[in-house]
Amino acid sequence: MPDTAETTLASAAAQRPPFYRDATVVKWLVQVATLILVLFAMFFLASQAGDNLTAKGIKTGFDFLDVDPGIQLNGGIDDDPATGGRALWVGMVNTIRLSIGGIIAATILGIFVGVARLSNNWMVNKIASGFIEYMRNIPLLVHIIVFFAVLGGLNKFTADVGPINGWLHISNKGVSTPRAFISDGFYQWAVFLLIGAIAGRFVMKKRKAKQDATGAETYPLGSFFGVVAIFAIVGWFLHPIFGWVGSIFQTIADVIDVIPQSAVRVALSLIAIAAAVWWIRRFLDSRRTPAGLAKLTDDDWFRMIFAGVGALLAAVFFFIVWPGFSSWLLNSSRDLFEVAANKFGDGRDGLPLGINRPDIAQRGNFANPGPAGLNLDTGVAALFFAIVMYTAAFIAEIVRGGILAVPKGQTEAAQAIGLRRSTMLRRIILPQAFRVSLPPLGNQYLNLTKNTSLAIAVAYTDLVQVGQTILNQSGKSLEVFAIWMLFYLACSLTISAVVNFFNVRLAIVER
Amino acid sequence: MSMSQLDAETTTILAKLDADKALRPDEPSLPVGEWMGKNLFGMGQGSPWAVVRSTLLTVLFGLLALFSYRGFLNFVFSEERRWDAVRTNLRLLFTQAYPDENYTRVWVTVAIVAALAGLSLGLMKVGRGLSMKRIATWCFAWGGLIVVGILLREASALTNADGSIQLDVDKQPIREGFIDKLGERGTWWVLGLVLLVIGSVIWFTLGDLRRRTTFVPAIPFGLVTLGLFISSVWWFNWGNYTFTDDGFTFDPGNKVAGSTQMPWTLIFVVLLVAYLIGQFLLRSERAGTFRGVVNGLWLLAPFVTFWVVLRGPVIDWSHVLSTHLPMALGFIVLGGALLWFLTQPGIGEKGRIIAVALILFALFNWLAAFMGWYPMLQKARLSFLFLGLAAAIAPNFIGDAKQRLKLIYGWVGFMTIFHILVTIINTPSSVEVPTEDFAGGFMITVYVAVFTMIFSFPLGVVLALARTSRLPLFRMLSTVYIEVIRGVPLITLLFFFSVFVNLFLPEGMELSGLAAVTVAFVLFSAAYLAENVRGGLQAIRRGQYEASDALGLTTVQRTMFIVLPQGLRVSIPPLVGQVIATFKETSLLAIVGVFDFLRIARDVIPAQTEFLGVKQENLLFISAVYFIVSYSMSKYSQRLEKQLGVGER
Amino acid sequence: MSISDATTFTSDEMASRADMIISDGVDKWYGDFQALKGVTATIKEREVVVVLGPSGSGKSTWIRCINRLEQHQGGRIAVDGVELTNDTRNIEKIRREVGMVFQGFNLFPHITVLDNITLAPIWVRKKPRGEAEQLGRDLLERVGIPEQADKFPGQLSGGQQQRVAIARALAMEPRIMLFDEPTSALDPEMIKEVLDVMKELARSGMTMMVVTHEMGFAREVADRIIFMESGEIVEVGPPEHFFTNPTEDRTKLFLSQIL
Repeated sequence: MPDTAETTLASAAAQRPPFYRDATVVKWLVQVATLILVLFAMFFLASQAGDNLTAKGIKTGFDFLDVDPGIQLNGGIDDDPATGGRALWVGMVNTIRLSIGGIIAATILGIFVGVARLSNNWMVNKIASGFIEYMRNIPLLVHIIVFFAVLGGLNKFTADVGPINGWLHISNKGVSTPRAFISDGFYQWAVFLLIGAIAGRFVMKKRKAKQDATGAETYPLGSFFGVVAIFAIVGWFLHPIFGWVGSIFQTIADVIDVIPQSAVRVALSLIAIAAAVWWIRRFLDSRRTPAGLAKLTDDDWFRMIFAGVGALLAAVFFFIVWPGFSSWLLNSSRDLFEVAANKFGDGRDGLPLGINRPDIAQRGNFANPGPAGLNLDTGVAALFFAIVMYTAAFIAEIVRGGILAVPKGQTEAAQAIGLRRSTMLRRIILPQAFRVSLPPLGNQYLNLTKNTSLAIAVAYTDLVQVGQTILNQSGKSLEVFAIWMLFYLACSLTISAVVNFFNVRLAIVER
Repeated sequence: MSMSQLDAETTTILAKLDADKALRPDEPSLPVGEWMGKNLFGMGQGSPWAVVRSTLLTVLFGLLALFSYRGFLNFVFSEERRWDAVRTNLRLLFTQAYPDENYTRVWVTVAIVAALAGLSLGLMKVGRGLSMKRIATWCFAWGGLIVVGILLREASALTNADGSIQLDVDKQPIREGFIDKLGERGTWWVLGLVLLVIGSVIWFTLGDLRRRTTFVPAIPFGLVTLGLFISSVWWFNWGNYTFTDDGFTFDPGNKVAGSTQMPWTLIFVVLLVAYLIGQFLLRSERAGTFRGVVNGLWLLAPFVTFWVVLRGPVIDWSHVLSTHLPMALGFIVLGGALLWFLTQPGIGEKGRIIAVALILFALFNWLAAFMGWYPMLQKARLSFLFLGLAAAIAPNFIGDAKQRLKLIYGWVGFMTIFHILVTIINTPSSVEVPTEDFAGGFMITVYVAVFTMIFSFPLGVVLALARTSRLPLFRMLSTVYIEVIRGVPLITLLFFFSVFVNLFLPEGMELSGLAAVTVAFVLFSAAYLAENVRGGLQAIRRGQYEASDALGLTTVQRTMFIVLPQGLRVSIPPLVGQVIATFKETSLLAIVGVFDFLRIARDVIPAQTEFLGVKQENLLFISAVYFIVSYSMSKYSQRLEKQLGVGER
Repeated sequence: MSISDATTFTSDEMASRADMIISDGVDKWYGDFQALKGVTATIKEREVVVVLGPSGSGKSTWIRCINRLEQHQGGRIAVDGVELTNDTRNIEKIRREVGMVFQGFNLFPHITVLDNITLAPIWVRKKPRGEAEQLGRDLLERVGIPEQADKFPGQLSGGQQQRVAIARALAMEPRIMLFDEPTSALDPEMIKEVLDVMKELARSGMTMMVVTHEMGFAREVADRIIFMESGEIVEVGPPEHFFTNPTEDRTKLFLSQIL
């Protein structure tokens, strides 16, 4: 009787439906139509912008990066940048400095407030929640401007403004602290530290193995830091013996110098295509079954096409769109190694690190913080403290949420197996709380980085402020905007990558 | 920059915890000594170490609190402060240079908001209300704060006969003695002691149990408190401060001006009446419908108040009758007829083909506009697009006449409102102001925030749906958009839009500065909103999709009836967080040159000759306003959370 | 094995009935795992078929392919004379004809029980609301919980929820009902109330395809039992034959483990 099935099905007439009723075709039609619509809109807007720019006689192009911008920047690694690119670089460095410092400070303060918020002590609890509510419910920009106004009302800067004269000055000119700087012998010393770290890791593994084997406490982490410290101390005096390392870098730089530019172009294209081919093959392998290749879904095809097109585009990019990229790559890597070689130099025997106390520079009748110390002028100080406290309020809530998210059963189980309170916190509660808090923490770090762009409100030279100045001078608005976007996207990608790295490492493997 | 939000997950966890807490009845009160022992001195944890630690913390943080409080009071009440700058400039701060002769429009706007608020409050499902214990605790807290403040604050400086401050040799003000200081602050003493007495009366006349179980309805309580405050303009000397043509007058010993007393009193009456009407409607069977209508009015209110009430359009009736009215009627009647045709049973594929054709035609209209092929009113282009969309959802309304009429009514109502609004928006304003935008100050802050939320919500939902879609290209487009927008700071987007949005537009199309900036806010906010909604959508279990598919619901029906209602409900706490964030983000308007609340406080008032350089006072004032608004919103969101019941099925 | 053995057991009367579900050599892959390997069977009108098998044997996948919750990749499926292809119209048609009850109930938690039932009749079948509500109340009466109409699903017990789910599926007036382990998520004391509803449904002449582990139900109600393992149909037969005298070793092993 198998025929019944056959005959009925045959009578059901399996012809293809018209295209507008075919689920798969409709699905793809809709998607492709949307894509075309979006691409067309973008193309249209771009061409419109092009027309309007030509009509207004504005030229586009990144040549302003190599021209003297004629601007002065206060605060940063270079007061008087020679080119537009250099000026933007100063801004980027300031943004990065502010972000990293802010992330560290906000994390510490945030954890502190978050834990205080959970305290049994009514007073501590209320003060912490008052802090959080105050910071969270007022715009950051208002905070910054309020801080700026308050700091501007501090005492006038004089030689004895205090609170610790010669070490820490707080005044209406901002905060001056001692500055630690990298001195002559630092790079040779860094080699010592590197060797120390490798040796320390080796020792740590040994001791860990011993601890696991015998159960005796061998302090593996402590021994790691011990070894590194020994190397650091010895290196502090002996570092000149590594002066020769520089010549290695010099050799590499010389080798790079002789590589022809076209070879790099070919190599890059080949790498892109090879990567795509390798990826597609691996992908197909993963879809291969004992009974042959499994049916590929739309998604699979899409991914493979995407990989292939991407590789081709990369090749086209290296050859046609920006051939200069290859030579830029060559030049900059050669420069990099030459700089490294210079850092080592010959016979540098100064100390690795130095420290300078803040000084006072008298300009006419006015005292100003001198260049020796680390000066945070009122603008940056307001910006920094406002951003740190603002972010800390959010981090505190995340920390609180993370700790409260650990189920009560975990505490009970830990108590049941007789763990001490501190061990329980360290081994059971905090690791789990940290895992819950990590993704939102990453978001806050991202927000903090982006919030540094409010520096413009206090005229601090971060990337946005410098970009804005250049934009006003040169009229290169689109280009500056592109640089902003690329920089901040790079920052956010970096932060997500770091957070993801920890996230993956911490993830509980379930089933 | 998202100045702002906690991500969805954390918000949900915290909201859940707060909701749990709010559902429990108040705990029995401990005797004062026991309470302090437990909460301040770490008693009852069974270890002497805990007692030492907790006591130390209490002392340390207590001192910190006292010192901060004293610093704050001394700052606020210092003789150097010039609060006149705020008091005199209140109108400037809230509405910028809105002309005096038209100021009734502002009051009408506030009254409309008050009426809607009253209706909403009246129609609200109320919880158990405020317990007497809480009211007493508040009285104690505020009364205590005031009394402690009187004791803490430094003494006032002595003044000379001409009102100037007496200075000592170091140019520091000479202050009166401690006892004099206590005697001088009569009003504050009265206020503090009254609060303490009320608190004590409630506390001691009711026993612990009755204290905890006697509830006062929260909304009437709030209204009475508000009424008391507003009535004080008639009996308390707040002082009269105004700008006149020859500088400003200030008259601290008097009541506020009549031009402030009357409007506020009337507005309060409107609020009260609206509340009572709301209460009356709540008793009817159709309370749900009324609630829906009020919500619809809320949605309409920003448009109506901004363009009709505040802007005072000058309508050219002959033009309206000759052009706009026929066009609107055409769309309403012909569009309605088309939709009636499209909803007849058995229309089948023809209906879909017509809908797709209409949408294509609408898109083609835009293309033509860009290319300059044929002119057409923007309104007509939008109407065609709406007609296409209505045709696309028409198959859902196929059925008997009642079902079909639903769509027709919806279409007629929507088109009427749309055409009236757009016509009015396109008429010139009768309110003459010296600045480019007729709105400024707090007004513009609120309107930008509100319009941002209204327009970014649908965009955000669409992005979230696309990002969770099964179609890879949709997912990719949406992901790229969201990640790029979330990756860049808001300020760069604002610069971009305020500087050259017009570069991208073809000839004849232009966006005003404020509109361009609002577009930037919308695009930015939508990306964050999409992420919040996505969190909610991902919380929907697969079974819900499968069940809808198995029942034969179409994708649109599944999304409208099953996916979005559930997903949005889960996303409510982060969405309110997003509203707060947007409200705070509008402060960036100050950087791109709009005269918003912050900019007036920071730049405009300190530049007045009378108040040259007065900045800290204004900033403190606007901080307080921002705080009150965002704090009440976040409290409201916690309440809402409780009401919806986290995890309620 | 295979269909020829199965159909020999059915009476001539059964053979003369119309084919409701035809599954012809259906294949389904998940990545490199083949979940269905040429599953072939025919289900007749008014027939009750119980699909048995160890977990992971592909029985749920198969039943879900029949109304396109999963897309089959090889072979053909036809339901009530309509072949299941990429044609959206056919998919719509089949989903209207086929009701499905899930292991996890999958009621819509945000709307009332009555709205759960009337949603599809109103929006898919285009019934007037009044009529749909009457139908909904009748169905609730039929599954024995008329008083729960205005509650939310979360306020009901598991057994009640599953009965609402059955009512919801019946509201579309389907010709075929699919049950995907309807009692697996229920507490033991609630299983009976759901099974009673299903028995009543079977007696009323509904075509049913049931994936379950309830052997008692299978023995009592099924016209035929299909036993599956690792994506294949191993044995087909009427319950009395299947439980007392199975032909295949794998069936015997399975029965010895569960009985």
